[in-house]
Amino acid sequence: MSVRYTLLGLLAQQSRYGYELRAAFISLAGGEEAWEVKPAQIYTTLNRMLESGLVDKSTPEDTSSDEKGVYSITASGQKELAQWLDEGSLDDPQQDAFFLKLMLSLELPDVDPTRLIQTQRSALYQELHRITTVRTKLDPHTELARILLMDKATMHLEADLRWLDIIEARLEEVKSQPVPHPEMRPRGRPTKN
Amino acid sequence: MAIIEVKNLSKTYGEGSTKVTALNSVNLVIEKGQFVTVMGPSGCGKSTLLHLIGGLDKPSDGVVLIDNKDISKMNDNDLTELRRRKMGFVFQFYNLIPVLTAEENAALPLVLDGVKMNVAGARAAEWLERNQMGDRLTHRPDQLSGGQQQRVAIARAMVSEPLIILADEPTGNLDSRASDEIATLLHQAVSEWGRTVLMVTHDPRIAAYADRIVFLKDGRVVDDVLLEGEKAENTRLLKEKVDRL
Repeated sequence: MSVRYTLLGLLAQQSRYGYELRAAFISLAGGEEAWEVKPAQIYTTLNRMLESGLVDKSTPEDTSSDEKGVYSITASGQKELAQWLDEGSLDDPQQDAFFLKLMLSLELPDVDPTRLIQTQRSALYQELHRITTVRTKLDPHTELARILLMDKATMHLEADLRWLDIIEARLEEVKSQPVPHPEMRPRGRPTKN
Repeated sequence: MAIIEVKNLSKTYGEGSTKVTALNSVNLVIEKGQFVTVMGPSGCGKSTLLHLIGGLDKPSDGVVLIDNKDISKMNDNDLTELRRRKMGFVFQFYNLIPVLTAEENAALPLVLDGVKMNVAGARAAEWLERNQMGDRLTHRPDQLSGGQQQRVAIARAMVSEPLIILADEPTGNLDSRASDEIATLLHQAVSEWGRTVLMVTHDPRIAAYADRIVFLKDGRVVDDVLLEGEKAENTRLLKEKVDRL
């Protein structure tokens, strides 16, 4: 959804061709490695917005190609964009693969949760080191937006690492508690008493 | 080439029922030119390890080899000389002398070693210049920010061209921006000036500047992680080999 609204925002700034929009989106998002978006995704999104009347498209007469055409924002597009900009944005940090591994390790006899925590910590530190290395090479006079994005990644990794410390410190306590199980309903016909 | 080698190193404080084991048979090899961080919860023994390696404290058991010399067998004079010539120390609260200027503070290890003040001052000024403190040579510590004081402390640690820099929570008293600058400087000490750095910190962001993190818990090494891409890959392969044997 963020792609859609960001495209609207870029069109609010000026009308553009589809390929220009994609290039503008990528540089805004902090580079291709930060946010990969395929041309097909851009055109699908633009077509949907055309259908719902959020954008207009004017095709130059000398071409019949579907992709050639200048997109511009409509009044209802402006309204939608203003609404989106006005809302707070919460990502979902709860869907965590490591957390599922940890919960499984409490159930499976051959998996050591301590080892799991160490492996995860090592992976997080490798990533933190990689980002730190890239970040220190960026120029604050021309690449400040990317630096800020990397600062965010750094702080998230820092939070994950602190969370691991908490888990590790309280692991024995967690182990001694029952692992949550769904309540099983009896299947089939109830037995007669 | 190993520059620091720690074998079965233990340190206990107190006797009988009040006996506390700070380090419990720690083994560690640090190669020349590595930037190593020691991490772990409070009381895990990380500062004790740093103090034993720096010869600031005597082990209860085991040995510490610095540049292949066993420092646990050295007398106080030899130990002082080794500390002054081969090691530089950086502390959390900078430990600068309030009545001396930045240049005089940075020159101190050389002056104590008998180098004439004008020679020592010139070398201190060079290091302060490299640490972006060239325009503050005559400032006293109370005229400098925390980050700047730590830069002076790093110049003081570097001035005797030591092999090893030992840093105990060097960013513990600094805001995040100054912390990043100090971590960058310590990284530079390794990558540009060829020193070996051993740093204790509890800040993950600062630890990530290092090439390697050693985790201590209850006085023991519980994990040892290489962070540099190429080096990390080598160690992973080595680990796999060892596991297979």
